[in-house]
Amino acid sequence: MRPSMRECLIAIGFAAASAAAAGAAEEATINPPPKPADWTALAQLPDWSGVWTPSLSDQAQRMKLDQIPWTPAAAAQINKLVAAENAGNPKGLFVNCLPEAMPSWMLITHNAMEFLFTPGRVTILGESDGNRLRRIYTDGRSHPADPDPTFHGHSIGHWEGQTLVVDTVGILPETYIAPSEAVGLPNNGDMHVVEHIHLVGPDTLRDDLEITAPHVLAKTWKTALILYRQRARKFDIVEGVCMQGNFSEGVDASGNAVFQSAPQTEGGNFVPADK
Amino acid sequence: MTKLGIVYRLMYRALLLVAAVLTAIVSAPSVAHHSFAMFDFNNTVTFKAATVKEFRWTNPHVVLLVEGARQPGAPPELWSMELTSPGNLTRMGWSRHSFKPGDQIELQFNPLRDGKHGGAFKQAKLATGQVLTSSVRDYEKLEKPDIK
Repeated sequence: MRPSMRECLIAIGFAAASAAAAGAAEEATINPPPKPADWTALAQLPDWSGVWTPSLSDQAQRMKLDQIPWTPAAAAQINKLVAAENAGNPKGLFVNCLPEAMPSWMLITHNAMEFLFTPGRVTILGESDGNRLRRIYTDGRSHPADPDPTFHGHSIGHWEGQTLVVDTVGILPETYIAPSEAVGLPNNGDMHVVEHIHLVGPDTLRDDLEITAPHVLAKTWKTALILYRQRARKFDIVEGVCMQGNFSEGVDASGNAVFQSAPQTEGGNFVPADK
Repeated sequence: MTKLGIVYRLMYRALLLVAAVLTAIVSAPSVAHHSFAMFDFNNTVTFKAATVKEFRWTNPHVVLLVEGARQPGAPPELWSMELTSPGNLTRMGWSRHSFKPGDQIELQFNPLRDGKHGGAFKQAKLATGQVLTSSVRDYEKLEKPDIK
């Protein structure tokens, strides 16, 4: 039986309504310009201004105390790396100047970082590792359904009181879970990092990290980063170019200032080539 | 310059040339962010009279090249000292002018365990009497954190 004109119009109308409903449930496709109220709302957030330096003594303690729950197969590999480091032959996990990546970027740095709050976003700016940064979207968006894997992954965040809760996925499988610069394994994919960042004193910030990596960890690894606030301008963040140490300053035949390759050993040290 | 001094200077230049050639042949990895386990922190070497040859104020690690001898009177040799980053050193009062070629210093360092002429910088005393140290962890204690 052929549908009547009326039935056709009803069907078209229903289809249009369904499409509109589906569109409303999808992510917004633009980043709207912030309104004055959006800037004003930032004043209600906790004060994380200043430059933050990691507590190196806390880092050293956690390397011993926050044992990583490796799977048995992963632990066997880790034990060899620990033995090599203890013997004075550390493997260089981060010597190729590829980004340190999450979560190592937060956990092993010896350098400063700072936090910027803008409408819909928190940005963490680093010093070492080539001044890399993290963009944490706080505008209510979800993770992409199939994010391109990256070194820092895709981060979304929201505020629970004075605590910033950050959820990160989409991290490259080759990036390390590493208790130190010489001991660690690739996460091998499907890693998920949840962070709770909050002040625990007037000038002390704590990032509690929960790292799930089902291919190398038997259960979620819980650890933390402690940062100290610095107001003195001598702490202002400087440029950090990872490859710069591979070069020394020289002059070419035409008198131009040029970078020249500097010799290094396999272990990453610059040493005179006299041995 | 004494005859012996000229010989050392020529040797030094030859070493630099060898180093440059080696670098051209070998694709060396970056210093980047590495473990310090290759240094022997149970062993501190002192050069009573070292001469600064070069001071590289670069990320991620500052490098100090010196000529020094473990024993007074022994022939000086070229050594390379590794330090933390310019950012961290600036916070401890250093600058890219902290050393200049020709400076005479008393140097302490932890040597590489493999016997190569490299070390982790520990302390330098300048002719002015100024003492420069570079331990970020020691410095952290001076910076009054909330949590001891």
